[in-house]
Amino acid sequence: MSALEYNGGSVIAMVGKDCVAIASDLRLGTQALGISSNFQRVFPMTDRLYVGLPGLGTDVTTLYERFRYRVNMYTIKEEREINPETFAHMVSSTLYQHRFGPYFIEPVVAGLSKSPTGALKPFIAAMDLIGCINFAKDFVVAGTASSKLYGVAEGLWEPDLEPEDLFETISQTLLNAVDRDAFSGWGAVVHVITKDRVISRTLKARMD
Amino acid sequence: MDHFPANWGRPRNDAIDLYATHLLHPRPNNRAKDAFADSVQRTQQPIVTGTSVLAIKFKDGIMMAADNLASYGSLARFKDVQRLQAFGDYTVIGASGDMSDFQFIQRLLDDIAVAEIAAQDGHDLGPVEIHEYMSQVMYGRRSKLDPLWNSLIIGGFKDGKRFLSYVDLLGTTYTASTIATGYGGYIAQPLLRKAVEGYEDVLTAEQARKILEDSMRVLFYRDARSLNKYQLATITAAGVQISDSLHLETSWDFAEGIRGYGAQTQ
Amino acid sequence: MDSIAHPTQRQFNPYSDNGGTILAIAGADFTVIAGDTRQSEGYSIQTRYAPKVFPLTDRAVLAVNGFAADGNMFVKKVKQRLEWYRHAHSKDMPLRAIARLIQTMLYARRFFPFYVYNILGGIEEDGTGAVYSFDPVGSYEREACRAAGAAQSLVQPFLDNQIYFNNQQPAPGTSHPVHLPLPTILSIVIDSFTGATERHIEVGDGLEMYVVLAKGRGVQGLEDVRGVQELSVTEEGERIFVIRRDLKKD
Repeated sequence: MSALEYNGGSVIAMVGKDCVAIASDLRLGTQALGISSNFQRVFPMTDRLYVGLPGLGTDVTTLYERFRYRVNMYTIKEEREINPETFAHMVSSTLYQHRFGPYFIEPVVAGLSKSPTGALKPFIAAMDLIGCINFAKDFVVAGTASSKLYGVAEGLWEPDLEPEDLFETISQTLLNAVDRDAFSGWGAVVHVITKDRVISRTLKARMD
Repeated sequence: MDHFPANWGRPRNDAIDLYATHLLHPRPNNRAKDAFADSVQRTQQPIVTGTSVLAIKFKDGIMMAADNLASYGSLARFKDVQRLQAFGDYTVIGASGDMSDFQFIQRLLDDIAVAEIAAQDGHDLGPVEIHEYMSQVMYGRRSKLDPLWNSLIIGGFKDGKRFLSYVDLLGTTYTASTIATGYGGYIAQPLLRKAVEGYEDVLTAEQARKILEDSMRVLFYRDARSLNKYQLATITAAGVQISDSLHLETSWDFAEGIRGYGAQTQ
Repeated sequence: MDSIAHPTQRQFNPYSDNGGTILAIAGADFTVIAGDTRQSEGYSIQTRYAPKVFPLTDRAVLAVNGFAADGNMFVKKVKQRLEWYRHAHSKDMPLRAIARLIQTMLYARRFFPFYVYNILGGIEEDGTGAVYSFDPVGSYEREACRAAGAAQSLVQPFLDNQIYFNNQQPAPGTSHPVHLPLPTILSIVIDSFTGATERHIEVGDGLEMYVVLAKGRGVQGLEDVRGVQELSVTEEGERIFVIRRDLKKD
């Protein structure tokens, strides 16, 4: 039994034109038994930065609290918001600190990062449970439905999607992938991060 | 508890039969008949083994290479073994893996060659037929869980067509323009593919020979179960030609510069 | 009590996994059966061209995936049984009968299975396109589409979305088409395999798509397709075509 698959759940993030999206299912189970259909594993870290934490349920809570604390400390000390790149490296080093007794989480980071000129650039990244970062230009996936997410995303995603099109693409990818995964599903949530707002929607999904 | 009184043994008093065992039908004895009955060997492991065989297509046919070593574990046991064998006028088989199993295969093929000659029906076996026969033999033996522990390469030329294929102990088969068995699959195959894929119809015999010689040299440098004595088989419209043993020229100067490879102290 | 220490044997494993992926989609009056052509073992590519899709009759095509040696033997045996049927009945076996034959042949080896996932595609006696999918011991069902093999988990949910329109709402006042036209299906097949090739190391090198057309159906949808090759001998009756495409070799 793998701790990464014990509670189930999947997360995906995609890049669009001047926007990014991150989405997750809402299931929490103990192996095949469904426990909750309202388990949040995607969290806002700043106004333009979200993190998804698929993996062992108990570590989702622990890591979220840990990252919230570290981001708050960073904001206070630096007197500015943390950048997605910086945050991704913080997540990575936190995970690597536990190299030989890891948190069973494969985080996904999605946000808009501010360049020195003030322009906002889409940023996504995914990590394995010991912090090896994958900076992708298109999409990243994680969780028990990851192979399905890869397959659908590879077929549906295209460059420079506008926010509403990106929303449709990531939603379709997630829903069709989790419908073929016994450990993911039971509802979904999508966040599309644009330069002036975040569109958050809860999706109706198959409940079997 | 054994519920079969017949197996309880004789009663203490021979005069009485307390449990009436003599009326019971004795239970069939299914136990091992002798000490060796348990150790009927269904699966084996390779004992005396040959390492890689390489083969490529070229303009006029097929060229194959295999060294002359048969190893006994890490011992270089037999250093003048032929692992390339011609069958009929059109085909060469190269064998890696267990050499006694290969000798058994040679006997099988000799038998069908004799039958084929005796038939005098105007047909003769080409590489395609020998490949099909070998794949059926190998798959049949794997299905009996008593495999012939070899990876075989079958190369041939008949009716103006090149043929190059692979068969192994699982009965897995394929054809390709370059094939390498054993360590050759990891070390030589990338070199062969780079040199041959896309050039099958332009490579001359001399170029093909050079490609195989260079690959055999690399294998000799890195495969500890290989030998710098090898043979080349060339199969073309002119027939089968298997060379005498060839010697690989090697240079070990480079080893000086590699820590742990040459004769460094410390 | 005699306790004999038996020598431990290294067990010979009669199976291997040779990678690759297959896929079939049924249309109203045609079926597409496709497979990549890479054969691998572990991290080694054995060959870039080893067919996994085989025409059985003028209206049936079988795709086999899993352990290649078992796959080739299984196809050989199915073809042999179909030939016997032809000799006995002077006609080709109907598709649904081939499907049941395959289930029987697979189940006959229930305790030493053919390690093969089969997908049978073709034209049913009523002229409809059909796909039958099997597990290695013979469980089977008729479906509209199915992916199997190494990249099944990548391809099948994509097909759910694009063929069955799962999770898609039809525009108001309209409904989803029950059957898609041939060019659309060919595009979906190609997209599925390029996607699988991108993300799965055991998929790639080449793609073979067999198209079976129902009796009397024209070749509409195939005219503009590059490099179509017809395999059938007669123009009346069902017709089989093959379309080949390169896939990435890395």
